[in-house]
Amino acid sequence: MFTLKYKDDLFKFILSVFVLSIILIFSVSVIIVLYYSYPSVIRYGISFLWTKEWNPPKEVFGALTFIAGTFIVTFLALLFAIPFSFGIGIFLQEYCPVFLRGIFTVIVEMLAGIPSVVFGVWGVLTVVPWLRESVEPFFNAHFSNIPFLKVEENIGYGILAASIIVAFMILPIISSITKDSLASVPKLAKDGALAMGATKLDVIKDVSLPYALNGIYGGIILGFGRAVGETIAVVLLIGNQAVVPKSLFSVGYTISSLLANTFTFAVISPIYASAEVELALVLLLTSLIVNIIGRNILNRVIGGRFSRSQFGGG
Amino acid sequence: MEQQLHEPVFPANRGYLKRKKVYNNIAVFFAAAAFIIGSFPVFHIIFEAVSIGYKYLNWHFISTLPTGFPIGAEGGILNAVIGDVYLIVIASILAVPIGIGTGLYLSLFGKKRANAFLRLLNELMLGIPSIVWGIVGFYVFSTNTGPGFHFGFSALAGGLTLGFIMTPIITLLTEQAVNQIPASYIEGALALGATKWQATRSVILKAALGGIFIGILLGVMNIIGQTAPLLFTNYYNTGMPTGVTGPGGAVGDLAMLIFIYIHEPSKILHYKAEAASVVLLLFIFALDLGLRLINYLAKRFIL
Repeated sequence: MFTLKYKDDLFKFILSVFVLSIILIFSVSVIIVLYYSYPSVIRYGISFLWTKEWNPPKEVFGALTFIAGTFIVTFLALLFAIPFSFGIGIFLQEYCPVFLRGIFTVIVEMLAGIPSVVFGVWGVLTVVPWLRESVEPFFNAHFSNIPFLKVEENIGYGILAASIIVAFMILPIISSITKDSLASVPKLAKDGALAMGATKLDVIKDVSLPYALNGIYGGIILGFGRAVGETIAVVLLIGNQAVVPKSLFSVGYTISSLLANTFTFAVISPIYASAEVELALVLLLTSLIVNIIGRNILNRVIGGRFSRSQFGGG
Repeated sequence: MEQQLHEPVFPANRGYLKRKKVYNNIAVFFAAAAFIIGSFPVFHIIFEAVSIGYKYLNWHFISTLPTGFPIGAEGGILNAVIGDVYLIVIASILAVPIGIGTGLYLSLFGKKRANAFLRLLNELMLGIPSIVWGIVGFYVFSTNTGPGFHFGFSALAGGLTLGFIMTPIITLLTEQAVNQIPASYIEGALALGATKWQATRSVILKAALGGIFIGILLGVMNIIGQTAPLLFTNYYNTGMPTGVTGPGGAVGDLAMLIFIYIHEPSKILHYKAEAASVVLLLFIFALDLGLRLINYLAKRFIL
């Protein structure tokens, strides 16, 4: 008996060591970001967030351009992705023939499995030429007097190209959560409505969606979290110029693409590196807050079940 | 959709019912259109990568190092293939034990509240952007100044950073796999006097093996496509690594190779980037297929 008890304690002890190491990894990550951003936080204060000038040689650092770029790309991506993921979720769960549901779901999951860099290459070789040769001349000819749709340089690269690709990357997250939320609607409630003579659209509109809406919000929030940190595809597509974008077609810069492009040079000067790590802190805090809220909602609605589409890419 | 409606009692309703059916059909159309547009990139990405990269897709491409000028214009991607093996092995050495251990702990031991906290932590780690992991990895493993391991830009630094990304995925899938085992299996073992270790060894690990393996494959699938964390921890090497740390310790990586090639102005490197994308996608979809197969077999034969 003694040896059995001993083995069991040893087992528990070893598992605890693993648990401690995961806690260690998380806390070390947060502490490192806090520690290395501290000099910049002290020196530039809270106004770091809305100062526009970013001038490493003069040691003037303000993050507005990059924060604006990040959130504009994220919101545009959500704007594009939400209607489509909504439609995809409804299609997969309610409308598509049952024998095709499996294969169609696999296709959406394949979208989630495509790496960020491959999306970026596709953007550079397909989306950017399309924007440059078809979309931008069209808008230039017809909408050039609307400020948000003005084409400044007809190059194809810019926040529109980046947001289109990011939208495709968050599409599987939101649509699979929409689908799971719709699947969690009790069948009796739906059958009841159908028996009353409702069409499928009535059932979706009046029974399923009200029930599933919270889960869908959770999905959108997680999609937001994913879009905020998206790096490699954005670096390849956004044009990488430190200007606050004024129109849908202008170039820009996001936090993640700035870090990807300049962090290796920044580490030479401590304060420059610190300012960049503060940008990473902004990303980290955003993603932590967004994930706490999103997971909380999802845990309540679909019981914390994770679908395949929620990780992948990078 | 084609449900047979009875003759309405009030003839005035007929138009209303017809309208409702039309609305429903419009909704079907839009939902199907959303699906078709949303899944278009999957097919177009594969089509484009294959149609541009096919002429390089041969054994020579996979088995030779990049040469020529600019580097990569001739030769293949052997450095990246070997480098990915290095990175996957190193990341797995870190992530597999920690992930499985934590997953088992979460489902077997622990207090309710502590476990809820651990789960939250794990889910938060899943959400941390990969570029932030890159910066963390740089300061923990690569930097030459300050505290840290001072591995330099190397396979060890890059692999361990990828391991950080892989760990929460394995934890999550392990816990889900163990929770899917019918409680009677574990309770049966415990009721016969087995300790938790014996129950784990003889019942849980066997029943959850498929799920745990799926977690590992998902983790590999995820890190194989990561580029951002490697920017500051490993970067890239056009040749073979001479070690795993310090100078010469950096390895090539498929995703990184694609990223670097697409940045170059040379058209031939763009074509090679597409060919490398095909290799990367093939690898990812093969893992995906394996994972679905395991899922099927596990459902069929183990549980």
